[in-house]
Amino acid sequence: MIEKVKNIVFQNRFWKSVFRHGMPVNARLRSEAVMSNLFLHIHPVKIYKDSLLFRKTLGLGLISFYLFFILCITGILLMFYYIPHVQRAYQDMKDLEFAVSFGMILRNMHRWGAHSMVALVFLHMCRVFYTAGYRHPREFNWGVGVILFVCTLALSLTGYLLPWDQLAFWAITIVVNLIETMPIIGDDLRYLVVGGTLVGQNALIRFYVMHVMVLPLLVTMLIAVHFWRIRKDGGLARPE
Amino acid sequence: MPVSDEQRMSEQEKDLKSYGLMNLVEGETPHVGKEPEEMTTTWPHLLVKELNLFYLVMIFIMGMSVFFDAPLEEMANPSVTPNPAKAPWYFLGLQELLSWGPPFWGGIFVPTVGVIILILVPYIDRSRVGTGLWFHPSRRLYNILFTVFVVVFIGLIIVGTFMRGPIWGFYWPWEPWPTH
Ligand code: HEM
Repeated sequence: MIEKVKNIVFQNRFWKSVFRHGMPVNARLRSEAVMSNLFLHIHPVKIYKDSLLFRKTLGLGLISFYLFFILCITGILLMFYYIPHVQRAYQDMKDLEFAVSFGMILRNMHRWGAHSMVALVFLHMCRVFYTAGYRHPREFNWGVGVILFVCTLALSLTGYLLPWDQLAFWAITIVVNLIETMPIIGDDLRYLVVGGTLVGQNALIRFYVMHVMVLPLLVTMLIAVHFWRIRKDGGLARPE
Repeated sequence: MPVSDEQRMSEQEKDLKSYGLMNLVEGETPHVGKEPEEMTTTWPHLLVKELNLFYLVMIFIMGMSVFFDAPLEEMANPSVTPNPAKAPWYFLGLQELLSWGPPFWGGIFVPTVGVIILILVPYIDRSRVGTGLWFHPSRRLYNILFTVFVVVFIGLIIVGTFMRGPIWGFYWPWEPWPTH
Protein backbone atom coordinates (compact mmCIF):
# COMPACT_ATOMS: atom_id res chain seq x y z
CA MET A 1 0.00 0.00 0.00
CA ILE A 2 2.62 2.53 1.12
CA GLU A 3 4.86 1.32 -1.68
CA LYS A 4 2.08 2.05 -4.13
CA VAL A 5 1.56 5.60 -2.88
CA LYS A 6 5.31 6.18 -2.94
CA ASN A 7 5.44 4.99 -6.49
CA ILE A 8 2.64 7.27 -7.56
CA VAL A 9 4.21 10.28 -5.86
CA PHE A 10 7.87 9.80 -6.70
CA GLN A 11 7.84 7.85 -9.93
CA ASN A 12 5.45 9.88 -12.02
CA ARG A 13 6.62 11.90 -14.98
CA PHE A 14 6.03 15.28 -13.40
CA TRP A 15 8.15 14.51 -10.34
CA LYS A 16 10.87 13.11 -12.50
CA SER A 17 10.78 16.09 -14.82
CA VAL A 18 11.38 18.39 -11.85
CA PHE A 19 13.90 16.39 -9.83
CA ARG A 20 15.30 14.34 -12.71
CA HIS A 21 15.00 11.04 -10.85
CA GLY A 22 12.78 9.19 -8.41
CA MET A 23 13.11 8.84 -4.65
CA PRO A 24 16.81 8.53 -3.72
CA VAL A 25 16.70 5.01 -2.34
CA ASN A 26 20.21 3.80 -3.14
CA ALA A 27 23.65 5.30 -2.94
CA ARG A 28 23.82 6.23 -6.60
CA LEU A 29 20.48 8.02 -6.56
CA ARG A 30 21.42 9.72 -3.33
CA SER A 31 24.50 11.15 -4.96
CA GLU A 32 22.43 12.25 -7.89
CA ALA A 33 19.85 13.84 -5.64
CA VAL A 34 22.54 16.13 -4.32
CA MET A 35 24.52 16.65 -7.48
CA SER A 36 21.69 17.31 -9.88
CA ASN A 37 19.91 19.82 -7.68
CA LEU A 38 20.98 23.44 -7.94
CA PHE A 39 20.22 24.17 -4.30
CA LEU A 40 21.81 21.04 -2.88
CA HIS A 41 24.86 20.72 -5.09
CA ILE A 42 26.77 23.12 -2.90
CA HIS A 43 27.18 20.02 -0.73
CA PRO A 44 29.59 17.24 -1.57
CA VAL A 45 27.73 13.98 -2.22
CA LYS A 46 29.67 12.24 0.51
CA ILE A 47 30.97 13.58 3.78
CA TYR A 48 32.94 12.36 6.74
CA LYS A 49 30.78 10.89 9.44
CA ASP A 50 32.58 12.87 12.13
CA SER A 51 31.88 16.11 10.26
CA LEU A 52 28.22 15.42 10.96
CA LEU A 53 28.71 15.59 14.71
CA PHE A 54 27.02 18.59 16.23
CA ARG A 55 29.92 19.25 18.58
CA LYS A 56 32.26 19.83 15.60
CA THR A 57 30.67 23.14 14.66
CA LEU A 58 27.77 23.60 17.10
CA GLY A 59 25.90 24.44 13.90
CA LEU A 60 26.92 28.06 14.33
CA GLY A 61 27.82 28.84 10.72
CA LEU A 62 24.64 27.28 9.44
CA ILE A 63 22.55 29.13 12.01
CA SER A 64 24.19 32.38 10.85
CA PHE A 65 23.15 31.54 7.31
CA TYR A 66 19.59 30.65 8.32
CA LEU A 67 19.28 33.93 10.19
CA PHE A 68 20.48 35.80 7.12
CA PHE A 69 17.88 33.93 5.06
CA ILE A 70 15.07 34.73 7.52
CA LEU A 71 16.19 38.36 7.52
CA CYS A 72 15.99 38.51 3.73
CA ILE A 73 12.44 37.16 3.70
CA THR A 74 11.12 39.30 6.55
CA GLY A 75 13.03 42.28 5.18
CA ILE A 76 11.36 42.01 1.79
CA LEU A 77 7.96 41.81 3.49
CA LEU A 78 8.79 44.88 5.55
CA MET A 79 9.67 46.76 2.37
CA PHE A 80 6.04 46.51 1.32
CA TYR A 81 5.07 48.69 4.27
CA TYR A 82 8.01 50.97 4.81
CA ILE A 83 8.76 54.25 3.07
CA PRO A 84 12.17 55.79 3.78
CA HIS A 85 11.00 59.33 4.30
CA VAL A 86 11.48 61.32 7.48
CA GLN A 87 7.76 62.19 7.60
CA ARG A 88 6.60 58.66 6.86
CA ALA A 89 9.08 56.16 8.29
CA TYR A 90 8.09 56.48 11.93
CA GLN A 91 4.40 56.39 11.06
CA ASP A 92 4.98 53.19 9.09
CA MET A 93 6.51 51.65 12.20
CA LYS A 94 3.38 52.54 14.15
CA ASP A 95 1.22 51.10 11.40
CA LEU A 96 3.17 47.86 11.51
CA GLU A 97 2.46 47.71 15.20
CA PHE A 98 -1.22 48.60 15.16
CA ALA A 99 -2.67 48.31 11.66
CA VAL A 100 -0.88 45.61 9.67
CA SER A 101 -1.89 42.00 10.35
CA PHE A 102 1.04 40.25 12.04
CA GLY A 103 3.00 43.46 11.39
CA MET A 104 4.51 43.52 14.85
CA ILE A 105 5.59 39.86 14.63
CA LEU A 106 7.17 40.62 11.27
CA ARG A 107 9.07 43.55 12.67
CA ASN A 108 10.07 41.58 15.77
CA MET A 109 11.39 38.70 13.69
CA HIS A 110 13.51 41.07 11.66
CA ARG A 111 14.78 42.87 14.74
CA TRP A 112 15.58 39.83 16.87
CA GLY A 113 16.92 37.99 13.84
CA ALA A 114 19.34 40.83 13.21
CA HIS A 115 20.57 40.97 16.80
CA SER A 116 20.92 37.19 16.83
CA MET A 117 22.88 37.21 13.60
CA VAL A 118 25.50 39.60 14.97
CA ALA A 119 25.92 37.38 18.02
CA LEU A 120 25.90 34.10 16.09
CA VAL A 121 28.43 35.22 13.49
CA PHE A 122 30.73 36.25 16.32
CA LEU A 123 30.24 32.90 18.07
CA HIS A 124 30.88 31.09 14.78
CA MET A 125 34.16 32.96 14.50
CA CYS A 126 35.06 31.88 18.04
CA ARG A 127 34.21 28.28 17.16
CA VAL A 128 36.48 28.38 14.12
CA PHE A 129 39.29 29.87 16.18
CA TYR A 130 39.07 27.40 19.06
CA THR A 131 39.03 24.44 16.67
CA ALA A 132 41.89 25.92 14.58
CA GLY A 133 39.62 25.68 11.54
CA TYR A 134 41.33 28.61 9.82
CA ARG A 135 44.62 26.91 9.03
CA HIS A 136 45.98 26.11 5.61
CA PRO A 137 44.24 25.81 3.15
CA ARG A 138 41.44 27.75 4.82
CA GLU A 139 43.30 31.04 5.43
CA PHE A 140 41.40 32.82 2.71
CA ASN A 141 38.03 31.60 3.87
CA TRP A 142 38.77 32.92 7.35
CA GLY A 143 39.48 36.29 5.70
CA VAL A 144 36.20 36.11 3.82
CA GLY A 145 34.61 35.40 7.19
CA VAL A 146 36.14 38.46 8.81
CA ILE A 147 34.77 40.62 5.98
CA LEU A 148 31.39 38.93 6.45
CA PHE A 149 31.48 39.85 10.12
CA VAL A 150 32.18 43.49 9.27
CA CYS A 151 29.39 43.46 6.67
CA THR A 152 27.00 41.95 9.23
CA LEU A 153 27.75 44.84 11.58
CA ALA A 154 27.24 47.31 8.73
CA LEU A 155 23.90 45.71 7.85
CA SER A 156 22.75 45.94 11.45
CA LEU A 157 23.88 49.51 11.77
CA THR A 158 22.24 50.75 8.57
CA GLY A 159 19.01 49.02 9.58
CA TYR A 160 19.13 50.62 13.00
CA LEU A 161 18.38 54.07 11.58
CA LEU A 162 15.33 53.09 9.57
CA PRO A 163 12.59 53.22 12.28
CA TRP A 164 13.49 56.90 12.63
CA ASP A 165 12.80 57.06 16.34
CA GLN A 166 14.94 58.68 19.03
CA LEU A 167 16.87 55.46 19.59
CA ALA A 168 17.72 55.21 15.90
CA PHE A 169 18.53 58.84 15.36
CA TRP A 170 20.89 59.29 18.29
CA ALA A 171 22.61 55.95 17.93
CA ILE A 172 23.46 56.77 14.33
CA THR A 173 24.42 60.32 15.21
CA ILE A 174 26.99 58.93 17.65
CA VAL A 175 28.45 56.49 15.14
CA VAL A 176 28.53 59.13 12.44
CA ASN A 177 30.36 61.56 14.72
CA LEU A 178 32.86 58.80 15.23
CA ILE A 179 33.65 58.77 11.54
CA GLU A 180 34.58 62.43 11.84
CA THR A 181 37.49 61.57 14.13
CA MET A 182 39.21 59.67 11.34
CA PRO A 183 42.38 61.50 10.33
CA ILE A 184 42.49 63.38 7.01
CA ILE A 185 39.38 61.93 5.37
CA GLY A 186 37.11 62.09 8.46
CA ASP A 187 35.12 65.18 7.52
CA ASP A 188 34.59 64.20 3.90
CA LEU A 189 33.71 60.64 4.77
CA ARG A 190 31.14 61.77 7.28
CA TYR A 191 29.63 64.03 4.65
CA LEU A 192 29.54 61.15 2.20
CA VAL A 193 27.77 58.86 4.65
CA VAL A 194 25.26 61.42 5.91
CA GLY A 195 24.73 63.32 2.68
CA GLY A 196 24.88 66.63 4.56
CA THR A 197 25.88 67.95 7.93
CA LEU A 198 22.98 66.55 9.99
CA VAL A 199 21.44 63.09 10.03
CA GLY A 200 18.32 63.79 7.97
CA GLN A 201 16.48 62.73 4.83
CA ASN A 202 19.67 62.24 2.83
CA ALA A 203 21.15 60.03 5.51
CA LEU A 204 17.93 58.03 5.72
CA ILE A 205 17.80 57.23 2.01
CA ARG A 206 21.52 56.42 1.92
CA PHE A 207 21.24 54.04 4.83
CA TYR A 208 18.12 52.53 3.28
CA VAL A 209 19.74 51.80 -0.07
CA MET A 210 22.78 50.30 1.63
CA HIS A 211 20.56 48.25 3.90
CA VAL A 212 18.17 46.77 1.36
CA MET A 213 20.35 46.59 -1.76
CA VAL A 214 24.08 47.03 -1.57
CA LEU A 215 24.97 45.18 1.62
CA PRO A 216 22.56 42.23 1.16
CA LEU A 217 23.94 41.65 -2.34
CA LEU A 218 27.49 41.89 -1.06
CA VAL A 219 26.80 39.49 1.80
CA THR A 220 25.02 37.04 -0.51
CA MET A 221 28.02 37.04 -2.79
CA LEU A 222 30.48 36.61 0.08
CA ILE A 223 28.45 33.75 1.54
CA ALA A 224 28.50 32.07 -1.88
CA VAL A 225 32.30 32.40 -1.95
CA HIS A 226 32.49 31.22 1.67
CA PHE A 227 30.49 28.06 0.97
CA TRP A 228 32.22 27.35 -2.30
CA ARG A 229 35.57 27.60 -0.56
CA ILE A 230 34.49 25.24 2.22
CA ARG A 231 34.02 22.61 -0.48
CA LYS A 232 37.16 23.44 -2.40
CA ASP A 233 39.18 23.36 0.81
CA GLY A 234 37.99 19.79 1.34
CA GLY A 235 35.08 20.23 3.73
CA LEU A 236 35.42 20.96 7.41
CA ALA A 237 38.87 21.06 8.92
CA ARG A 238 39.78 17.77 10.57
CA PRO A 239 42.87 16.24 12.11
CA GLU A 240 45.30 14.84 9.54
CA MET B 1 68.56 12.90 -28.14
CA PRO B 2 66.53 15.67 -29.66
CA VAL B 3 62.90 15.71 -28.61
CA SER B 4 60.34 16.11 -31.35
CA ASP B 5 57.57 18.61 -31.07
CA GLU B 6 55.10 15.84 -30.94
CA GLN B 7 56.85 14.21 -28.02
CA ARG B 8 57.06 17.48 -26.16
CA MET B 9 53.37 18.08 -26.77
CA SER B 10 52.41 14.70 -25.46
CA GLU B 11 54.64 15.27 -22.45
CA GLN B 12 52.86 18.51 -21.74
CA GLU B 13 49.54 16.91 -22.32
CA LYS B 14 50.36 14.27 -19.74
CA ASP B 15 51.10 17.02 -17.27
CA LEU B 16 47.90 18.79 -18.12
CA LYS B 17 45.94 15.59 -17.86
CA SER B 18 47.23 14.61 -14.48
CA TYR B 19 46.73 18.14 -13.25
CA GLY B 20 43.17 18.13 -14.55
CA LEU B 21 42.52 14.79 -13.00
CA MET B 22 43.78 15.92 -9.61
CA ASN B 23 41.55 18.90 -9.81
CA LEU B 24 38.58 16.77 -10.57
CA VAL B 25 39.33 14.46 -7.69
CA GLU B 26 39.77 17.37 -5.36
CA GLY B 27 36.59 19.05 -6.42
CA GLU B 28 34.09 16.25 -6.43
CA THR B 29 35.45 13.91 -3.83
CA PRO B 30 38.14 15.63 -1.82
CA HIS B 31 38.66 12.46 0.17
CA VAL B 32 40.96 10.30 -1.90
CA GLY B 33 42.64 7.41 -0.19
CA LYS B 34 40.44 7.51 2.85
CA GLU B 35 38.50 4.56 4.11
CA PRO B 36 34.99 4.57 2.68
CA GLU B 37 33.62 3.52 6.07
CA GLU B 38 34.55 6.93 7.43
CA MET B 39 32.17 8.53 5.00
CA THR B 40 28.49 8.59 4.42
CA THR B 41 26.09 10.10 1.91
CA THR B 42 25.00 13.70 2.26
CA TRP B 43 21.47 12.67 1.42
CA PRO B 44 19.85 12.09 3.82
CA HIS B 45 22.32 12.21 6.73
CA LEU B 46 23.49 15.81 6.48
CA LEU B 47 20.39 17.26 4.82
CA VAL B 48 18.01 16.02 7.52
CA LYS B 49 20.20 17.55 10.21
CA GLU B 50 20.36 20.82 8.35
CA LEU B 51 16.59 20.91 7.98
CA ASN B 52 16.06 20.16 11.67
CA LEU B 53 18.40 22.97 12.61
CA PHE B 54 16.39 25.31 10.43
CA TYR B 55 13.20 24.34 12.28
CA LEU B 56 14.92 25.06 15.59
CA VAL B 57 16.08 28.49 14.43
CA MET B 58 12.58 29.31 13.15
CA ILE B 59 10.96 28.20 16.41
CA PHE B 60 13.43 30.27 18.40
CA ILE B 61 13.00 33.45 16.36
CA MET B 62 9.23 33.16 16.13
CA GLY B 63 8.97 32.38 19.83
CA MET B 64 11.01 35.45 20.68
CA SER B 65 8.94 37.57 18.33
CA VAL B 66 5.71 36.47 19.99
CA PHE B 67 6.89 37.28 23.50
CA PHE B 68 9.13 40.30 23.09
CA ASP B 69 8.40 43.42 21.09
CA ALA B 70 11.07 45.40 19.29
CA PRO B 71 11.59 48.80 20.91
CA LEU B 72 10.17 51.94 19.38
CA GLU B 73 10.71 55.24 21.12
CA GLU B 74 9.40 58.72 20.34
CA MET B 75 9.86 59.98 16.81
CA ALA B 76 13.36 61.21 16.00
CA ASN B 77 13.90 64.73 17.25
CA PRO B 78 17.28 66.39 16.67
CA SER B 79 16.60 69.01 19.32
CA VAL B 80 16.04 66.54 22.18
CA THR B 81 19.26 64.72 23.04
CA PRO B 82 18.78 61.69 25.26
CA ASN B 83 21.28 61.45 28.08
CA PRO B 84 23.12 59.19 27.73
CA ALA B 85 22.80 58.61 23.98
CA LYS B 86 23.95 55.10 23.18
CA ALA B 87 25.00 53.33 19.99
CA PRO B 88 23.59 49.84 19.20
CA TRP B 89 24.84 47.29 21.73
CA TYR B 90 27.45 45.74 19.42
CA PHE B 91 29.14 49.15 19.18
CA LEU B 92 28.88 49.98 22.87
CA GLY B 93 32.30 48.43 23.49
CA LEU B 94 33.74 50.96 21.06
CA GLN B 95 31.73 53.78 22.59
CA GLU B 96 33.08 52.76 25.97
CA LEU B 97 36.65 52.81 24.61
CA LEU B 98 35.96 56.20 23.10
CA SER B 99 35.13 57.68 26.46
CA TRP B 100 38.61 56.84 27.75
CA GLY B 101 40.69 59.13 25.59
CA PRO B 102 41.11 60.77 22.22
CA PRO B 103 38.33 59.41 19.97
CA PHE B 104 40.74 58.44 17.21
CA TRP B 105 42.30 55.66 19.29
CA GLY B 106 39.14 54.03 20.51
CA GLY B 107 37.02 54.74 17.48
CA ILE B 108 39.32 54.16 14.55
CA PHE B 109 42.69 52.77 15.54
CA VAL B 110 41.63 49.89 17.76
CA PRO B 111 38.90 48.48 15.45
CA THR B 112 41.04 48.83 12.31
CA VAL B 113 44.06 47.15 13.86
CA GLY B 114 41.73 44.55 15.37
CA VAL B 115 40.29 43.58 12.00
CA ILE B 116 43.74 43.48 10.38
CA ILE B 117 45.10 41.22 13.13
CA LEU B 118 42.08 38.93 12.78
CA ILE B 119 42.65 38.56 9.05
CA LEU B 120 46.34 37.82 9.67
CA VAL B 121 45.67 35.10 12.26
CA PRO B 122 45.95 32.13 9.84
CA TYR B 123 49.19 33.50 8.45
CA ILE B 124 50.68 33.87 11.92
CA ASP B 125 49.69 30.42 13.21
CA ARG B 126 51.46 28.05 10.80
CA SER B 127 51.29 24.94 12.94
CA ARG B 128 49.37 21.87 11.68
CA VAL B 129 48.85 20.13 15.00
CA GLY B 130 45.34 19.99 16.39
CA THR B 131 43.51 21.31 13.34
CA GLY B 132 39.80 20.67 13.68
CA LEU B 133 39.98 19.82 17.37
CA TRP B 134 38.58 21.90 20.21
CA PHE B 135 41.11 23.59 22.52
CA HIS B 136 44.08 21.52 21.44
CA PRO B 137 46.75 21.68 24.19
CA SER B 138 49.44 22.76 21.71
CA ARG B 139 47.44 25.94 21.15
CA ARG B 140 47.22 27.07 24.75
CA LEU B 141 48.93 30.43 24.13
CA TYR B 142 46.73 31.25 21.11
CA ASN B 143 43.60 30.24 22.95
CA ILE B 144 44.49 32.35 25.96
CA LEU B 145 45.21 35.41 23.78
CA PHE B 146 42.00 34.98 21.84
CA THR B 147 40.00 34.47 25.02
CA VAL B 148 41.44 37.69 26.42
CA PHE B 149 40.31 39.44 23.24
CA VAL B 150 36.80 37.96 23.52
CA VAL B 151 36.47 38.75 27.22
CA VAL B 152 37.62 42.36 26.75
CA PHE B 153 35.33 42.77 23.72
CA ILE B 154 32.29 41.47 25.60
CA GLY B 155 33.29 43.09 28.89
CA LEU B 156 33.44 46.54 27.30
CA ILE B 157 30.00 45.98 25.76
CA ILE B 158 28.59 44.99 29.16
CA VAL B 159 30.08 48.08 30.82
CA GLY B 160 28.78 50.34 28.04
CA THR B 161 25.33 48.77 28.10
CA PHE B 162 24.59 48.36 31.80
CA MET B 163 26.96 50.61 33.72
CA ARG B 164 26.86 53.93 31.93
CA GLY B 165 24.39 56.64 32.85
CA PRO B 166 23.99 60.36 32.19
CA ILE B 167 27.06 62.08 30.68
CA TRP B 168 28.58 58.61 30.46
CA GLY B 169 29.07 58.46 34.22
CA PHE B 170 29.67 55.08 35.85
CA TYR B 171 26.71 53.53 37.67
CA TRP B 172 26.26 49.98 38.88
CA PRO B 173 23.28 48.34 37.21
CA TRP B 174 21.30 48.53 40.50
CA GLU B 175 22.31 52.13 41.22
CA PRO B 176 19.61 54.68 40.40
CA TRP B 177 20.53 57.42 37.94
CA PRO B 178 20.29 60.98 39.29
CA THR B 179 17.05 62.66 38.29
CA HIS B 180 16.88 66.36 37.69
C1 HEM C 1 27.43 35.78 7.52
C2 HEM C 1 28.34 35.17 8.17
C3 HEM C 1 28.80 33.73 8.04
C4 HEM C 1 28.12 32.63 7.56
C5 HEM C 1 26.69 32.56 7.02
C6 HEM C 1 29.03 31.51 7.66
C7 HEM C 1 28.71 30.20 7.31
C8 HEM C 1 29.54 29.11 7.50
C9 HEM C 1 29.15 27.73 7.42
C10 HEM C 1 27.73 27.22 7.15
C11 HEM C 1 30.25 26.97 7.64
C12 HEM C 1 30.30 25.44 7.70
C13 HEM C 1 30.64 24.97 9.10
C14 HEM C 1 29.76 25.50 10.18
O1 HEM C 1 28.52 25.41 10.05
O2 HEM C 1 30.31 26.02 11.15
C15 HEM C 1 31.37 27.88 7.82
C16 HEM C 1 32.69 27.50 8.03
C17 HEM C 1 33.75 28.38 8.19
N1 HEM C 1 33.64 29.74 8.47
FE1 HEM C 1 31.95 30.82 8.30
N2 HEM C 1 30.24 31.94 8.15
C18 HEM C 1 30.13 33.28 8.41
C19 HEM C 1 31.10 34.09 8.99
C20 HEM C 1 32.39 33.68 9.27
C21 HEM C 1 33.35 34.44 10.04
C22 HEM C 1 33.08 35.78 10.69
C23 HEM C 1 34.51 33.71 10.04
C24 HEM C 1 35.85 34.02 10.66
C25 HEM C 1 36.33 35.16 10.90
C26 HEM C 1 34.28 32.50 9.29
C27 HEM C 1 35.21 31.53 9.01
C28 HEM C 1 34.91 30.23 8.63
C29 HEM C 1 35.90 29.18 8.39
C30 HEM C 1 37.43 29.33 8.45
C31 HEM C 1 35.15 28.02 8.12
C32 HEM C 1 35.73 26.60 7.88
C33 HEM C 1 35.78 25.98 9.24
C34 HEM C 1 36.23 24.56 9.28
O3 HEM C 1 36.61 24.02 8.22
O4 HEM C 1 36.19 23.98 10.39
N3 HEM C 1 32.96 32.51 8.85
N4 HEM C 1 30.91 29.18 7.73
